[in-house]
Amino acid sequence: MSDAYDVAVIGAGQGGLPAAHMAANLGAKVLLVEDREVGGT
Amino acid sequence: MNEGCIPTKTLLRSAEVMHLVRDRSAEFGVRGIDPKSVSFDLAAAVARKDNIVAGIQAGIYKNLDRNKNITFMKGHAEFTSPVDIRIDGTLVTAENSVLAVGSQPAPYAIPGLKEAGFITNYEALKLEELPNSMIVIGGGYEGVEFAQMYARYGTAVTMLGRAPRVMPKEEPELSEKLGDILREEGVDLHTSTEVVRAGAENGARFVLVREAGSERRYEAEVLLLAVGRNARVENLGLSEAGVEMDGPYVGADRRLRTSASNIWSLGDANGGLMFTHRATYDGPIAALNIVKALGREVDYRVVPRAVFTEPTLASVGLTEAEARAQGHEVRVGTADFAGSGRAKAIGLPVGMVKLIADDGTGELLGGHILGPRADDLIHEVVTAMYKKGSAEAIAKSIHVHPTLSEVVKRAAKALR
Ligand SMILES: Cc1cc2nc3c(=O)[nH]c(=O)nc-3n(C[C@H](O)[C@H](O)[C@H](O)COP(=O)(O)OP(=O)(O)OC[C@H]3O[C@@H](n4cnc5c(N)ncnc54)[C@H](O)[C@@H]3O)c2cc1C
Repeated sequence: MSDAYDVAVIGAGQGGLPAAHMAANLGAKVLLVEDREVGGT
Repeated sequence: MNEGCIPTKTLLRSAEVMHLVRDRSAEFGVRGIDPKSVSFDLAAAVARKDNIVAGIQAGIYKNLDRNKNITFMKGHAEFTSPVDIRIDGTLVTAENSVLAVGSQPAPYAIPGLKEAGFITNYEALKLEELPNSMIVIGGGYEGVEFAQMYARYGTAVTMLGRAPRVMPKEEPELSEKLGDILREEGVDLHTSTEVVRAGAENGARFVLVREAGSERRYEAEVLLLAVGRNARVENLGLSEAGVEMDGPYVGADRRLRTSASNIWSLGDANGGLMFTHRATYDGPIAALNIVKALGREVDYRVVPRAVFTEPTLASVGLTEAEARAQGHEVRVGTADFAGSGRAKAIGLPVGMVKLIADDGTGELLGGHILGPRADDLIHEVVTAMYKKGSAEAIAKSIHVHPTLSEVVKRAAKALR
């Protein structure tokens, strides 16, 4: 069984972070994934 | 934030301080500084930058921690279907996904370049030893910022642009002037060039360039490639996800939805206006469309742009030529920073403000500023344009004296 999310945001950069926060604040169960460093370019 | 906006602006500030101290302190009445004995400690400047970035990162982690609905995972995400994602070894499912994958330097097919060895923005912000010489390939915003930064540090910079001037899409008068300013500061700027080959010989790197009908050779310790960016989509599993590309970018509609109905995309990955302020604008819109199905469309009518050289180049809307090409009869208002007491006081009386309005309606169509703090000054024009307004409020409202904003006001008055 794999974990299930409402929204997966790929990339915790300049656009991914506000997308993830907004979706989460609207009640969604959010997964945020980053392979380098948070904050992006 | 790690290898873009904040790091470049932090290091440009170090370059500015270096320039003031070494080249201009006597002019301001500061004595005791021998320009020949002033040196630049790049490692210290990079450490200052790293410290600032680390502080911002800590804030990001704190906010993520606080948001109980967000699970954060470190790892590389790859789709195996439109709803299945593998993050390194872990499998997850997601009803909807947002591609916020950003961009990376575009591949540049110059024979010999790879073998010669080059750096991009990523390494250019991490070098700890100052190179004696550098060739910057690319005359866009990354190119001009890095060229001025390294030239002010003390590196001998050669800059090769493909277009007839730096920042070729900006208002010609202003980008020409920016090129002149870089030259005056010692950047060996060449425009209308085509790099045909690169290589390394006797410890130095070289590029062969077609320029003004002949072939020329330039040499430097370091080659910095700054020629544009493409979406970062390698090993992302886009075909498994059913997401189609639009050239080197992810294809998305005005609601930020891709060709896969449950996958959305935003920011640099979509191409176009590749700025942080566009990505942070897109983010909440994608979230609202996914979670609340609002069907909201992005509105990129008024998106300002800035290049953080000194003086700064900032703009919004159409250039004069673009406005005419779109069929507008236009009025143009200009004002020079040379006429500003404040610009003289701070020692930067260079550049100008140029405003473009529709002749019939008076609606502002574009604003272009080359000058000190243009990046901040442009917002008066942004606000007027957002309201689809004329320049009247800028021209008539009382501005603090002595400020640089008086130059924007003078340009607005000149429009009438
Ligand atoms: C040198 C330089 C200077 C700049 N200066 C400015 C400036 O002054 N002002 C400005 O507005 N803009 C500037 N920009 C542009 C700005 O950095 C970008 O427009 C902005 O970062 C775009 O945000 P984004 O969210 O689309 O992408 P990013 O911020 O790049 O975020 C994308 C994130 O996704 C991650 N990622 C990608 N693929 C995966 C994957 N498969 N799995 C997990 N994680 C992944 C990346 O590691 C990255 O962290 C500059 C850029 C550069 C290169």
